[in-house]
Amino acid sequence: MLSFISKKSNSIASNTRNFLRHSTSSQALKPTEEVNSSNNKPKDGRKSYAEFRHIYPEFLPDPKIEFRNSIREKLERSDMIARRTLIDIPEFYVGTIMAVTVSDKHTPGKPLRFVGICIKREGCGLRSTFILRNVVDHQGVEVMYELYDPTIQKIEVLRLEKRLDDELLYLRDSLSEFSTFDSNMEAEILAEGTPVPVNPIKVQLKPRPWLERWERKNLKGVEKIDLPEKFFKRAAELAKPYEKYDLMKQYMGTIPEEEQNEIFAEIQSQLHKLEVTRKKMKRKRTFVKPTKLA
Amino acid sequence: MNQADVSKLVSQLRIKVNPRLRKFRNPGGPEERLNKLRKTVTALIKHERIELNYPRADEARMYAERLISDAIRYGDCHKTTMEMADYWLTEKQLVHKLFKVLAPRYQNYNVSFSRLYKAPRPYPGDKNLKAVLELRGNPFPSVTPDTQSNRNLIHNVLLDEAKKEYRQKKYEEIASKIEMEAEKMKTTDAATKETSV
Repeated sequence: MLSFISKKSNSIASNTRNFLRHSTSSQALKPTEEVNSSNNKPKDGRKSYAEFRHIYPEFLPDPKIEFRNSIREKLERSDMIARRTLIDIPEFYVGTIMAVTVSDKHTPGKPLRFVGICIKREGCGLRSTFILRNVVDHQGVEVMYELYDPTIQKIEVLRLEKRLDDELLYLRDSLSEFSTFDSNMEAEILAEGTPVPVNPIKVQLKPRPWLERWERKNLKGVEKIDLPEKFFKRAAELAKPYEKYDLMKQYMGTIPEEEQNEIFAEIQSQLHKLEVTRKKMKRKRTFVKPTKLA
Repeated sequence: MNQADVSKLVSQLRIKVNPRLRKFRNPGGPEERLNKLRKTVTALIKHERIELNYPRADEARMYAERLISDAIRYGDCHKTTMEMADYWLTEKQLVHKLFKVLAPRYQNYNVSFSRLYKAPRPYPGDKNLKAVLELRGNPFPSVTPDTQSNRNLIHNVLLDEAKKEYRQKKYEEIASKIEMEAEKMKTTDAATKETSV
């Protein structure tokens, strides 16, 4: 079964009514070993910077030194905040099921809605993207959206959860039931303050040939791969166990904490305002048009 | 374009980090490169001052600073940091030294933990650039000579004289200002006396 990626949304229009905007949980799930030693906390009631970097990872710049430009980053951040005041971009992770409503230039006035699971999140700044995957009429469909695309009308999170892996590209080689989500799915609301649930599901892969050599990738969200011994032998030969000890490679793939705090200190008041308005909208009862009785 | 990895928090290094990591010449590949750097970092932590070639010193300095900054941030009860220290320090007494001696020493530093000097090359001899890599706060006398305390060195003599000259000039200016003010007071007093009389 082939799945193709398109830049714009590509599928059936469905009329679902979301009565309440999805609430964002105020605490991101932290990895168990991490010690939050940063004392830089903004004023009480606001999220600490430790949570910001999980909820808004696209605000952090590209760690590659050659691509850094402080002026461009500052301008991008202000543009990102400006976009966020117009449209609510919720907190989501790889593994959350989302619905994106986008305006189509070929059908003016009729927005297109696509529901899918987020399998990848890439990019930083205004070019940050995410890919949604769904199986529609036995056809796997993936759509890549840019978070700050002005043609996007609405981004809803239907089920907020995380998975055991950072990227779910293996869903392309798994059975279709693991990628199928109902287009008329309703939003599942989490109580405020609950940590983001981690879905420990183990996906079953289809028999080879695959798009990538999944046995070499140390995937945690995949059921035991049933392959002849030689594949695992070769995977062990090619494995680089010393890579996790490379301190500088680690450093160059991330932004140091002091810089992260600087960045979030600049924008935290505006992000907090957006949070407050989001909570207000959630509590506000949305008006449901009364249907005419016979 | 990549998104920054947010799973681990690292401290900012207070040294200049090269955009590209050096590969060196390794028949054994990246693993051997890390092994060689491991030996250098172990030697630095052990002896606190080592003399070696400049490129290796530059690279090992980055790794040593990273290791120490992790030790300060997370401490020895953190599993990942202990594994890291275990890998990078081949002599296990140095793991103790890292967490019990160096981490407290550098706890409140806001400068780098190490210094890298360019060393003179013996001529004729090895054409590689030499360097001295040392940890701050080491018990040895300074690598660079002390040019401040001996006031009889020519540059200190000249500086002292320049300071004296400057001070002299300033005193003269102040003295002349006071004189001017005194004269002004005299003339105004005389004026007021005349008018009153």
